[in-house]
Amino acid sequence: MSTFEPVLTRNTRRPDSEKIATYLANGGYQATRMALKMQPDEIIEMVKRSGLRGRGGAGFPAGVKWGFMPKDAPQKIVAVNTDEGEPGTFKDREIVERDPHSVIEGVIIAAYAVGANRAYVYIRGEFFLGVKRWIKAIADAYEHGFLGKDILGSGFNLDMSVHRGAGAYICGEETAMLESLEGKPGNPRLKPPYPAQTGLFGLPTLVHNIETLACIPHIIERGAEWFAGIGTAESKGPKIFSVSGHVNRPGNYELPLGVSLREIIYEHAGGIRNGRALKAVIPGGASTPMLPADQIDVPMAFETLKAIGSELGTGAVIVMDESTCMVQAARRLTKFFAHESCGQCTPCRLGSTRLYEILDRIERGQGKKGDLELLLETVQGIDGTTFCPMGAALVNPARSAIRHFRDEFESHLANKRCPVNGR
Amino acid sequence: MRVVEPVVELARGLATTLRMIFGEKPVTVQYPEEKRPVRPRFRGRHVLKRYDNGLEKCIGCALCAAACPADAIFVEASENTDEARYSPGDRYASTYEINMLRCIFCGFCEDACPTEAIVLGDNYELSFTSRREAIYPKEMLIEPVPPGGQPTPQKTPPGVFTRSVPEMKDSQD
Amino acid sequence: MTELVTLSIDGKQVTVPKGTLVVDAAKQAGIDIPVFCYHPKMEPAGMCRMCLVELGRPMIDRATGQPVLENGQPKIQWAPKLETACTNVVSDGMVVLTRSEKARAGQQEILEFLLTSHPLDCPVCDKGGECPLQNLTLDYGPGKSRFLYNEKHHAEKHVPLGELIWLDRERCIQCGRCVRFQRLVAGEPVLAFDERGRDTEIITNSEPAFDSIFSGNTTDICPVGALTTADFRFGARPWELKSAASLCAQCPVGCNITFNTRREAKSGGRVVIKRVMPRQNEEVNEIWICDKGRFAYHFTESEARLRQPLIRRNGQLQPASWEEALDLAAAKLKAAGKDALILAGGRLSNEDLFNLKKLADGLGAQSVLYTHVGGGDLVTQIGLASGTNLADLGKGDTILVAACDLYEEAPIWWLRVKQAADRGATLIVVNARATRLDKHAGYVVRYAPGDETVTLQGLLKQDKIGAAIREAGNLLVFYAADGLDLNGSTSVAAACANLLIETGHFGRPNNGLIGVWPHANDQGAWEIGFRPEADLAAALKGKTVYIAAADPAGDDPRLAKALQDAGTVIVQELFQTATASLAEVVLPAAAYTEREGTFTSGERRVQRYYPAVPRWAETKADYVITAEIGQRLGLDLEAGAPALVFNRLTAEITAFAGLSYRKLAEVRPQWPIVGRADLYYGGTTYENKQGLGVHLAAAASAGESPHLPEVRKGSGPRPQEDALLAVPVTKLYDLGVTVRSSVLLEARIGLPAITIHPLTAEKMGLKAGEKAMIGLGGHENEVLVKLDETIPAGVALVPRSMGLPVSAPAPLSVGKAK
Repeated sequence: MSTFEPVLTRNTRRPDSEKIATYLANGGYQATRMALKMQPDEIIEMVKRSGLRGRGGAGFPAGVKWGFMPKDAPQKIVAVNTDEGEPGTFKDREIVERDPHSVIEGVIIAAYAVGANRAYVYIRGEFFLGVKRWIKAIADAYEHGFLGKDILGSGFNLDMSVHRGAGAYICGEETAMLESLEGKPGNPRLKPPYPAQTGLFGLPTLVHNIETLACIPHIIERGAEWFAGIGTAESKGPKIFSVSGHVNRPGNYELPLGVSLREIIYEHAGGIRNGRALKAVIPGGASTPMLPADQIDVPMAFETLKAIGSELGTGAVIVMDESTCMVQAARRLTKFFAHESCGQCTPCRLGSTRLYEILDRIERGQGKKGDLELLLETVQGIDGTTFCPMGAALVNPARSAIRHFRDEFESHLANKRCPVNGR
Repeated sequence: MRVVEPVVELARGLATTLRMIFGEKPVTVQYPEEKRPVRPRFRGRHVLKRYDNGLEKCIGCALCAAACPADAIFVEASENTDEARYSPGDRYASTYEINMLRCIFCGFCEDACPTEAIVLGDNYELSFTSRREAIYPKEMLIEPVPPGGQPTPQKTPPGVFTRSVPEMKDSQD
Repeated sequence: MTELVTLSIDGKQVTVPKGTLVVDAAKQAGIDIPVFCYHPKMEPAGMCRMCLVELGRPMIDRATGQPVLENGQPKIQWAPKLETACTNVVSDGMVVLTRSEKARAGQQEILEFLLTSHPLDCPVCDKGGECPLQNLTLDYGPGKSRFLYNEKHHAEKHVPLGELIWLDRERCIQCGRCVRFQRLVAGEPVLAFDERGRDTEIITNSEPAFDSIFSGNTTDICPVGALTTADFRFGARPWELKSAASLCAQCPVGCNITFNTRREAKSGGRVVIKRVMPRQNEEVNEIWICDKGRFAYHFTESEARLRQPLIRRNGQLQPASWEEALDLAAAKLKAAGKDALILAGGRLSNEDLFNLKKLADGLGAQSVLYTHVGGGDLVTQIGLASGTNLADLGKGDTILVAACDLYEEAPIWWLRVKQAADRGATLIVVNARATRLDKHAGYVVRYAPGDETVTLQGLLKQDKIGAAIREAGNLLVFYAADGLDLNGSTSVAAACANLLIETGHFGRPNNGLIGVWPHANDQGAWEIGFRPEADLAAALKGKTVYIAAADPAGDDPRLAKALQDAGTVIVQELFQTATASLAEVVLPAAAYTEREGTFTSGERRVQRYYPAVPRWAETKADYVITAEIGQRLGLDLEAGAPALVFNRLTAEITAFAGLSYRKLAEVRPQWPIVGRADLYYGGTTYENKQGLGVHLAAAASAGESPHLPEVRKGSGPRPQEDALLAVPVTKLYDLGVTVRSSVLLEARIGLPAITIHPLTAEKMGLKAGEKAMIGLGGHENEVLVKLDETIPAGVALVPRSMGLPVSAPAPLSVGKAK
């Protein structure tokens, strides 16, 4: 087993890791002190050089995003996304519950770099402990002078507050999150304009996932080159992989990007439970296309997964062993998306339900001839026609399941029963 | 010759007459005492149908009137309530008139009808003495309430008839 | 000069202004791109995804910034996925394919998805026949659905959204046009989406439900039969209807409308109006109308209409022939001569008023306009010049609204003023109380009742407001008589006129004075020479009065008394009003829907209306009745076609010079294009093919210099210690003769109610919603009590035309209801 010195999770195993005293005792807020002495442009340049890409799913280069923020706008905002709605993902939860100050530090540095004086944290409503930890951490940061007016005597002001979501998956999408923050139903906005031009309350807004922000202090402290030294050609830095499903040791594992899926499953997560064989893996959360067992030697990086038709997403590895019915898996995942569609646009609102209905009847053994083709045509009708990226995401379970396990679907249709579990 | 020939011809003619009188069956039908059956696809006078429970099939959509090439049909709709229900859907024909002088019995109205409410029946005995009488109102067109059914308007329990158009079979069939 | 952009749509080169959306550019080029959620009057939402097209832009070389060429042609970079034509803005060299295989597949897919959730109600749906979903399914949809019929979505079908609008949730395709209309256009966000995903549904979040006076418009823009009016519910199929162009006669805006009519068994075989639809006139009402205009047409078919002439015999009004009635009326007027008085209401057309005026002139009698708003002579001088369009007002312009509750008195003006304010125009509202317009206003000026004139005179002295008026690029002033009587309103008009003249804002387009009249054609009456009478009761004394289209006795008991004391009363009316009951001769008039004519709107736009239904019973058009009386008096009055009367009118009245029926019927191309086969684009509003109307030339724009009107000194009545002052206000829905026949509006009209300040109510021991007895002008009435903390203490708002005798500010006593 390769060893990797944890970066993002270095504090999480300590007792009282969420407390500011623990954080300070372990070198906390040093990066903030350093950053506030630097020029904002220097920081942006540094983040660009580090090659940090967004950890929320889309993997957009962070430094480039910072560069999009208008220089001359009088008011700017940083919005922190702790919605973590992607099924299979639980990395943000660990960070916010166990090491919230590392994120606050990231927010301060990002806000300083882009010239924002207001930060809003959006957190998934069900993260009760996370909300408490966020509020406490922000209060402590204010008390120690890391937030508020004239931070550490630098003349830089930043106010920060926490807002709870009401439990919609789509609010993980940045513009839907902004709508929700504004107190409206969480429906994605039309893009352009992008949040960097018109974001929260119409102001230029930098939106980041908290894992991305948690990387920032380390880049400042240890340098962009150190960060860029970790990972692959196009995917830099450490990454927390949330492993769930049929493994012996599910949990969060912080590893460098580029680690192979096989290593994550078999070395870190302890292999498949009950000694069964691996059947399929979803590499990046429910919305990413699944991979069959013979493709798990792929390095976990943005470019390598894309090359084989999947995505890194949030890095949530969902493992399925041989006892899994792939039709059922696709059906359950699709049901989730049908339930979570915001209802704004036609293909997602209605197409997702139709997709679910077809999968459901195939699974129940009531599929009709031509259903598989209909399924793929419906996928075609949803992908690329929706308002936001959710359309492209919601078809992935069904499409990838058919791509890799077509025979299982056909068997369901032909024999009216499941070839895996016999039902 | 001159004498025989006419006699022969006469006898031949009379023979035919006699053969017809006693040998052939008559084709004349003693209408109206006796009525000739019509062909299965005969298009006679229109009938407005009812369901078995007595509710009218017609929903007053006026598509028959729209399809009518002779502009013979006039429909006016009203809304059903559970207190006074005529048809299972939202609306019924409060006025339904066919001008039999205009009708050309083409059957387009049957084709247009979404609920199979109007049917061209086998009645061809249309007679009237004025133009006014040629306009058949709904009372003349609608079929009698079938045995076991209730006459319309019916009082129906709330929550039973909630559809705008009565449920029909799969449109694709 | 707007920058132009050239792009190619389906191989056709199209040049449009920069910033145009692809869908609009295509429409301008005559290419249809199907839409459901997009509406040319609203910002795009991109929700329905129906307008998917293939979109490409010229590839730009990053190094040189020049387009990349391929075989001498710019190389096109195609968007990887289908794009929505409603959210993409045109750019130079853009290539759009709307009917390519890929685009068609996308469009087909969207329609198929929509139809899986849409019931097969078309046979009974009120939208069937003019339904965008139906039409687009035929044009763009798949012939057959691949999904299972029994998996169709079911939802609540009969949801009343208020009394006027029905919602069918199953038919709704969640395009959000109604929600966005209410929020963005009407500024009354009373509709919203609830739930999410497949369960998304439209709800109303106001009490009472769908509390908006523009609610009917949502049924026009709804692309399916989800929103329909209660009024037209199952009234007829759209293709069975005939249409007649007309004008709304409910207020001075002059909205262009279309009457849809049908011969009906329910109405005894008569041809009746089945519904009112807006008709496009971008300079007047755009494509909207208010609910009053849409639903208050029922008076024309009321069974209570007068059917034949009546003559008083032995103290009773009894049926008579036209000959008898006209002879008698003529004889009475002839006997009176100079002692006759002609009292006309603003419901009459220009032609009617002209004949009445000629009759009065022939007799040497006084011609009086029955109104409570004064100052029309000033509007004649410095009213709007031709070329005015409220849609042109925006940043740098100022609109002043004085003593007027525009929302209640002229809803479409309210809408357009609000939109001008949204575009950046400075809105100044001057009133004694809060009105709906306040929240859109830049400046709100309050005055104590009685101080209205002084306050207006002092506006220029105020720093910011003064500057906003003086430095306005364009200045429009609306005024009425909110809380005032005729005298008060005349002073307000004079003060407003002075503001305009002093700051030089008159005699050019988009500048001038607008009287918010109580009726459709009050302005026309002023132009023709009618003037209101400050003390009408005194003026009526001993006169032989010929009253047309006015009900003074019904409005004010003092006037009823005055009419009883008058000589002979001749009444020309639609209904047996209180005034008609006092008459010697009653002449039944045809409604304006039964004949041709013209109205002059408050903006001084003369517009034509056309006959929609046959004349009721034995009625005659007003101008014909007047002409026939005149002929009996030896006067040369035209009783032929209204166009002939209009010709005489244009020859005699300078302001109308040069106009003709033909000129009034001229149309110009308008944007957006509505009412053609493509109902999905603009909704079911009718296209204007019958005339946009013509502005009267304002005297000032003809070079005449206006005289500064003298403003009446002193102030109006003020509230006294220990006594309430009743001030008249206008409500949109009241018991006026043209409104009360509409059963549907009853709930919105409600019971007569007075509004007082909560403190006043507390002092009197009254609570909101309670009944009280009020004493006004010597009469007692039972009313509801409403509270409003924005009105001054000591003042009670009393609605006009609600059966309460309030024609002027007057002392009011309030007691507990019996």
